[in-house]
Amino acid sequence: TEWNVSLWGKRRAFTEHVHKLAELVEEKTDGEFTMNISYGGLSKNTENLDGISIFAFEMAQFCAGYHPDKNRAITVLELPFLGVNTLEEELAVSQAVYAHPAVANEMAQWSAQLLMPTPMPQYNLVGTGEPRDELAEFDGMRVRATGGIGRAFEAVGAVPTSMTASEVYQAMEAGVIDTASFAQHAHLSFGTINEADWWTANLNPGTVNCPVVVNMDAYDALSDAEREALDSSIPAALDHYLANYGELLARWDSVLEEKDVEKVMISEEELDKFREIAGTPTHEAWIEELSAQGLPAQELYDLVMTTLEETRASN
Amino acid sequence: MAGHSAVLTDGSTLSRLDRALERLERVAAFVSGLGAFGLMCLAVISVGGRELFNEPLRGYVDWIEMAMPLIAIFGISYVQRNGGHIRMDIVVGKLKGRALWLAELFTTFGIFVLMAALVWGSWAHFDRSFDFAAPMWSRDSTIDLGLPLWPAKLIVPVAFFIMCLRLVLQLWGYGRALVLGLETPVAVPLVQSVAEQAAAEAEHIQGHDA
Amino acid sequence: MTSIEIGLWVTGGLFVMVVLGMRVAFAAGLAGLLGLVWIFWEKRSYDPEMLGWAISVAVKTAGQVPHGKVASQALSLIPTFILIGYLAYYAGLTKALFEAAKRWLAWVPGGLAVSTVFATAGFAAVSGASVATSAVFARIAIPEMLKIGYDKRFAAGVVAAGGTLASLIPPSAILVIYAIIVEQDVGKLLLAGFIPGAFSAVVYGTLIVVLALTIKGFGPPVRGFTWGQRFASLPAALPIVAVVVIIIFFVYNPFGDAWGTPTEGGAVGAFIIFVMALLHGMRGAEFKDALIETAKLSIMIFTIIWGVLIYVRFLGFADLPSAFADWIASLHYPPMVILICILLAYAVLGMFMDAIGMLLLTLPVVYPAVMALNGGEDVLAADSTFGMSGEMCAVWFGILVVKMAEFCLITPPIGLNCFVVAGVRPDLSVQDVFRGVTPFFIADAVTIGLLVAFPAIVLWLPSLA
Ligand code: NA
Ligand code: NA
Repeated sequence: TEWNVSLWGKRRAFTEHVHKLAELVEEKTDGEFTMNISYGGLSKNTENLDGISIFAFEMAQFCAGYHPDKNRAITVLELPFLGVNTLEEELAVSQAVYAHPAVANEMAQWSAQLLMPTPMPQYNLVGTGEPRDELAEFDGMRVRATGGIGRAFEAVGAVPTSMTASEVYQAMEAGVIDTASFAQHAHLSFGTINEADWWTANLNPGTVNCPVVVNMDAYDALSDAEREALDSSIPAALDHYLANYGELLARWDSVLEEKDVEKVMISEEELDKFREIAGTPTHEAWIEELSAQGLPAQELYDLVMTTLEETRASN
Repeated sequence: MAGHSAVLTDGSTLSRLDRALERLERVAAFVSGLGAFGLMCLAVISVGGRELFNEPLRGYVDWIEMAMPLIAIFGISYVQRNGGHIRMDIVVGKLKGRALWLAELFTTFGIFVLMAALVWGSWAHFDRSFDFAAPMWSRDSTIDLGLPLWPAKLIVPVAFFIMCLRLVLQLWGYGRALVLGLETPVAVPLVQSVAEQAAAEAEHIQGHDA
Repeated sequence: MTSIEIGLWVTGGLFVMVVLGMRVAFAAGLAGLLGLVWIFWEKRSYDPEMLGWAISVAVKTAGQVPHGKVASQALSLIPTFILIGYLAYYAGLTKALFEAAKRWLAWVPGGLAVSTVFATAGFAAVSGASVATSAVFARIAIPEMLKIGYDKRFAAGVVAAGGTLASLIPPSAILVIYAIIVEQDVGKLLLAGFIPGAFSAVVYGTLIVVLALTIKGFGPPVRGFTWGQRFASLPAALPIVAVVVIIIFFVYNPFGDAWGTPTEGGAVGAFIIFVMALLHGMRGAEFKDALIETAKLSIMIFTIIWGVLIYVRFLGFADLPSAFADWIASLHYPPMVILICILLAYAVLGMFMDAIGMLLLTLPVVYPAVMALNGGEDVLAADSTFGMSGEMCAVWFGILVVKMAEFCLITPPIGLNCFVVAGVRPDLSVQDVFRGVTPFFIADAVTIGLLVAFPAIVLWLPSLA
């Protein structure tokens, strides 16, 4: 069996688990089951789910926030200020939500089955000019942030400005935006860190959720040995991903130092104010809106919260 | 290479259908042009709003994404009507009479097969983004404002369907020319020599520079 | 059959369709669609029962491309750039430019021809299309040159060659298309076009001065303009400068922060020209005409883009580009020889094909090969073959192929600019124009040689940004 896998961009920390999975599966099946990983050759990133649904390829990665209407249930994981702090917590809540029948049901409409998450760290800000560490200072700030995070900043008076990711560096240099929110690997690869004067180390406004999915028919067509090889390789692939991203995070402080970027710590008091304005009301609005559309929104939200507590308790 | 070609007219049914469809196509092309102008205005508003009032246009990229299919695709049939899609005519330019009409019939049929398939394919693309049961009938939305994408996606099969009508007329026109052995058939773009075509193009620009 | 063999067969079929005269956009789309059917059916071992399935998946995969690829912010530059060019006619910028160039430059040997070259270069800064530039100046500049005794063939050649500058000097639709196909920064490419474009103009100018000094009875210099007359000619031509400055400053500001993004710069430039055209007397009918012409040219270009991208999607499934890149990188010839062979192949191909169609059809396969030759997309300058980073190699190669595409506009048998000039002037045959433009082949060969030998001419400006 040969599977085509549709990713985008370049090989990076964000796609390491897919490469590890391909490697392990090939090893376990003595080369019987291979994966042909393509970066952008098979589909556009916002259409990977469409490609899965028409069976143009067997496996793909996509981000929920690119098209919330395609995948409403998992957007719970992209709500701002959920309180997720580490990659392990992100992994745990993602897996819990992916296992929920309402989520599986929505994915089945695209003939898709969720295989594994891509745990991403919180989308903290890099910014130019004077560091902003109080809520009041976010007023009038021009920020490149999309989806739920963008709306959270809007709630405290910031001005979300849209542009494609590849234009962000130039926009920052041009003063079109003051700040940009990304994960660390993206701040590095888009070069925003090179323009930055400061970085919010603990704002943790939220993140994006980017699952890896497979086409259901393709999964069912696997032989028992192949399916067993695929399923059993997922934990190891995720371990590899976490270790690899962990190294990047460990290096992050030295990157900040090297680029002379100030690490801004926001006080608990200010963070509480932030959550009160931009967090809780957003969560309530989300629950109300999706409940009205017939999704078990409250259940999904509670699932995230209890999983988060359990994960913290077990550590 | 490229070019504007002459389309002859007369009182036949074919020619009347040709001109009726051409009116529709011309409106579509004008709407595409208006879209291009709108895009320019949008950018000026966004820059002006940002620099003057610290209020950039929210979801600027989303609006561009919504407008581009209109600009880039909606008028496609008008361009086909006038033979404006570029081709290499170094071989067909040498052909005359029935041999020419046979070649035109063949390549136009190829285009028809492609466009008919793409009406199906782009409709499926639209259909995946459309859901009567969902709010705003939307099952696919833009990244920033969450605008429903189905209207932009619907433009494509609609434009391609008009294009298929045009191709049917052209197949009819070339087929008629082939059977009857016509010299100058109506309702199809006639091959011009590069020189004639350049003259037509230059004429157009002279009009502009007056 | 391997997927690469399928890729080669389909590519061969595509060229047959193109030669038979099928419109390039649809030939590429059809080749891509049929190729996808083949690939998906092959995956099901040509099981007759699965043919319907393969067709359905192929059609739906191809059906994503037109909307999906066209709905992009970067591509929105193309209609904007085309609109600027059409509005510029109505703003009366062509005559103003020629007049200013004449008063300032016509005193050198071969002065009027030199003025024509620099006026076309100036007009290139508001026009994305080479053919339009030649047609306009054929009407304005040729009569003046003939009046003072220039050889008519040479006068026509100057205008045909000068027109080509429009696709190198931004705004340039063809540079945007290159950037999209190879997924590189549009701003850097536009910025990179300025100096080679101006450089080409200087090479043309120098050639004319040399010819004027060596050939007896060449057109005389035109002297006697006062400084007052010179300065008086500037205000009408000034909007060009404004547009150039705006587009540059939106991409790169030498004195501080850039003003915005290329998309915004193009739009603000178009807006200024639009206001100029209104002041110059453009009204409803002309405006409607400009919009329809903009739509026609934009749609023509976009149709090739999505048609070719269906074929490219098929290539992605067939994995052909990386196979070709591996093959090129494994050749045992010096990389510079291979690069020059690629450029020569473009010169030959360009004699028979439209520039945009040629680039779109070939780049998906040729570009990865050139990048592989340099050492890969992410290579550092120090480890590379051509002494430049992957990103800079993309910019450099882009300018080289666009210059090749321009060159094709004046080479026989179908150099379009020459046909356009002959079309405007009843007293000139196409053979006359081709004869008159011949010296400029040498100028272009010299320019391309220098751009290959000294990449810094191309890379200096974008490396600042
Ligand atoms: Na230009
Ligand atoms: Na003539």
